[in-house]
Amino acid sequence: MATSTYLSNPTVTVNSVALTGFAVAATLERTNTAQDTTVFGNTARVYSATIEDNSLTVTLFMTYAASEVYATLATLVGTATTVIVKPTSAAVGATNPNFTLTNTYLETLPVLNATVGELSQIDITFKGGTYTAAIV
Amino acid sequence: MAYTIISDLVGEPGTEFIPDEGINIEALIWGGFIKSDKSPSKSAKTEETSPEE
Repeated sequence: MATSTYLSNPTVTVNSVALTGFAVAATLERTNTAQDTTVFGNTARVYSATIEDNSLTVTLFMTYAASEVYATLATLVGTATTVIVKPTSAAVGATNPNFTLTNTYLETLPVLNATVGELSQIDITFKGGTYTAAIV
Repeated sequence: MAYTIISDLVGEPGTEFIPDEGINIEALIWGGFIKSDKSPSKSAKTEETSPEE
């Protein structure tokens, strides 16, 4: 049986800024919240789609240098923006879609996350937004 | 209004930045990634007048 695997190497763009060179993990979840519509007579639970509740969580090496991570995120807290992740740096296509969340909200920014002897990393989560997966 | 790219994390420096839908321009300017090409507005002309005596 043929198999295909994928070596994690995505690109991450936040508010048009390429943060790929600082990112070590990214998870984009597309969720459509389920509404229980089970009624008498059903023999199994029945669910219907309601509205999407998407999110993108990214782990980044934190930097405070000019025009890097802190400069990208500091003024985005409490606002909505556009984020894009792509499985690889190859051209956009059916096998490498541009996963985009438009109007997604950054609620929290850990402005400092320091541990002795370790390179500082932060986790940020963009909540909500409209999901698209462009292939062109 | 036109914007010019400063940081290569956004694009080729020196070229025009054309924002996509939903991009927070103020955040990019604050972070030093782009700059606005808006020319500074002229201040209103004022004439000195001697105080009335």
